[in-house]
Amino acid sequence: MISATSASAPNNLRPASEVMKLERLGSMFASRLSFVRSLMRKMITERWQITNTVFDLDSKGHGLAVYRITTPGHCYHCVIFSRDLAPEQRSDRVIAEAWDVTFAVVEGEAEDSLLEQMAANVPLQEAGRQHPRVLVLSRANKSLRNFSQFATSLATGQQPNPAWLTSVGYLYRTTAVYGNGKFGIADFARLERNPDFNRPFAAQMLAVYVLRQFSIEQLNHLARVQSPEQAVPLHPELQRYLGVGNSTGLGMAPFLINHPQLIQQWVYGRERALASARLEPANEQTHTKLRALMARALKHLQQTRTEDRDQTLRNQETVGSVAEVIDWLDRTPAHHALYEELITWAHSHCSLETQELINTMLIELYPELPDGLEDELGCQESMDLQPDMKARQLKDLIERKFDWALSYREDCPDDNFWFWYRSAEKEEPRLGIRGAESGAEKETALAVGPRISRCHAKLERFLQRSPNAMVVEFLMAHPEQKECVRRIQTLGETPYGEIRANLWHRDMKPMHLLRTKLSFFGASRFDPKSDRWVRITLFQGAPLSAELSNHELSPEKLDDWGFPLEPVIEAGESGQTLQGGAL
Amino acid sequence: MKVSFNELQGLSRKAFSGIGFDDGDANDAADVVAWMEAHGLGGITALKKGLDFLLNEDKSQPPELVYQDADLCVVDAHNKTILGHASLAIELGYAKCRARGLSVTKIRHCHNRMLIVGYLSRIARRNMSVTAFWRNAHEPLTEILVSFRSGEAEPEICMYSLPSTPDDTEPNDGITLVMVNHVNLLPDLKPDAPLNNLLRQDRDAMASWHERSLVEGIEVDTALWERLKTLATKMLVEASDDSRLGAGAGTNDTD
Repeated sequence: MISATSASAPNNLRPASEVMKLERLGSMFASRLSFVRSLMRKMITERWQITNTVFDLDSKGHGLAVYRITTPGHCYHCVIFSRDLAPEQRSDRVIAEAWDVTFAVVEGEAEDSLLEQMAANVPLQEAGRQHPRVLVLSRANKSLRNFSQFATSLATGQQPNPAWLTSVGYLYRTTAVYGNGKFGIADFARLERNPDFNRPFAAQMLAVYVLRQFSIEQLNHLARVQSPEQAVPLHPELQRYLGVGNSTGLGMAPFLINHPQLIQQWVYGRERALASARLEPANEQTHTKLRALMARALKHLQQTRTEDRDQTLRNQETVGSVAEVIDWLDRTPAHHALYEELITWAHSHCSLETQELINTMLIELYPELPDGLEDELGCQESMDLQPDMKARQLKDLIERKFDWALSYREDCPDDNFWFWYRSAEKEEPRLGIRGAESGAEKETALAVGPRISRCHAKLERFLQRSPNAMVVEFLMAHPEQKECVRRIQTLGETPYGEIRANLWHRDMKPMHLLRTKLSFFGASRFDPKSDRWVRITLFQGAPLSAELSNHELSPEKLDDWGFPLEPVIEAGESGQTLQGGAL
Repeated sequence: MKVSFNELQGLSRKAFSGIGFDDGDANDAADVVAWMEAHGLGGITALKKGLDFLLNEDKSQPPELVYQDADLCVVDAHNKTILGHASLAIELGYAKCRARGLSVTKIRHCHNRMLIVGYLSRIARRNMSVTAFWRNAHEPLTEILVSFRSGEAEPEICMYSLPSTPDDTEPNDGITLVMVNHVNLLPDLKPDAPLNNLLRQDRDAMASWHERSLVEGIEVDTALWERLKTLATKMLVEASDDSRLGAGAGTNDTD
């Protein structure tokens, strides 16, 4: 684990004033550094094996399935419980109490006593006490539409229409994927020395990936139950085009704000990769590849469906803008400084999403990432005071690095519009309108901007009395500022620091926060269900587990699965008829 | 019941907020309790012992700086727990040591002194050698000496009883910290009196305890856990139909 300092930053990094604006962060796309891509690359390179060891499902697909994951140094098991769920209980919110499937990844062997303990607790999720060998705890609900249509098609010997997966790219949606000690499971500290999962969210992403495998095998099982003689398995192209959904809401926001060092590290990693790519001279070959990548992204975005009006407009704007980028590339021949010229042009002609898409593709163009970058996306999270810093230096630091926060106005209703809180209902994070809804007195301290601004005001008054005082003396006069001050001192030394937004402001868009985190996860197909609730897809287009150990497929080809496109299944390609067997 | 380190830290943080600690103190206190417990130093027991006290103390009055010069400071904690603003007294000592090479910090009239070890581990991590000394007024009289080498995560702890009680009328409710910036203090603890077994004193043993707590989880008294949960709920907002809309989602996802 490392900590970032400005001293190690490359010269051509984009400035924090540009990158850390919430609107821009909320316009980012998944990249080859995203956690699902990074995990897949590791699995491909190290030829991880995922094999089904228990598949004890009844005719409705309910029962137990266990998958063994073998890495070069360890083995793990993903244990999946599939249960009947009454329609009225099917909710993606954290306040739900039952799910179609619940599952967990456990370190080592899954012996009978452990399975027994898990069977009694994993289906209860938050209400259970989980075993300390559990690394990830999760649950998922079915996309009923897809499940029913897919099973019926396969049972009649037909492949499902690929357009169904373009519309909703999964059979299951996870609604929470817990790691790091939640409900008794293993702490992340235990994984820090484990090369399989020492990158952020790697274990969680593996759990989601195995669920994808299960969803395919459960679907084939159900088709075979319906029609043992006629059923065909899901076509490999459709298997690959099948992802796993995730339904998420405001819970992402507290994570982003409560882990500022980690978030800045993610951004710093992405920006280092971009800075490195921008230094490369373009040539005919990279020009052609960049155009092809943009064309693929264009088609992917054209194929992205959402019922949300604002997101539809954003997608349309981006599609138009990306088409212009392709035109620009067509009329601009390859030359040494092509990328810089493109970025400059896009800055004044393209939407933020398109600008960030270009950046994502520039990173994609150069697979050789700067040394060690992928292993530097985690960091030791510890914020320490510098008590001997002069108070006036702290004031200077705020004015230099946190000037964006000082525009907050204490007496402006718009600047204080929202408040964030946790509900007594399973601690679900929620947003309320200050003055109109109750609970503001218990708000969670997520609005860093106003806190910094208030700290600055107190500091100014303190310095009038004690111009030569140290920070610790300021804190002895204002002890409630301790957390804010050490946050300022810690983040002030990093290249990117804080997300630049007043999270209380009336115009603040929570969706930007959600998308910031989800883009680092590697999410695609943003499908907002409201201004603070979104469904996304993970692993759509990713290699199948059976392909990981196929030596005929090159790692480079297997790794090239970003921005997946709807496959074309030729007539007559309905697949091999499944042999009916005893169930 | 078994809980994880992160769970203990997280629930403690919420409970301290529910008690009325500022964010910074709630974070520090939770870190200290979890660190102590994970290192076999009885963080949970100390918390359990001090919880009633914590609930009743006036949190609006921070420790008072009664004397300071360039390398010495004396702070009166006014009979409060070390978990509160006492961290700032330690930070003051740290700042003075950075300037002068050595500092002495006396915190008078404080409770739960053992918990200070958790915060001192942070000081050691920041490349400072620190030694803490205090006396427990039990029969027999015991002395506790905790010494962190600069950069070390675990201290050496020495707790020993004195064969006879000195003729001394001062109350044993203070703690003295000595910090040095450039050398290590007291690398080998050699008390004259025999050690008792109340505390593990060996760095390796503490590191092993930490490792085991990560693998096996941390044992917590169920009643205390429930109490912490109750305290934590004080920061939660009662649900209503309006508030359910505040999450921005529907209540059913059958599609």
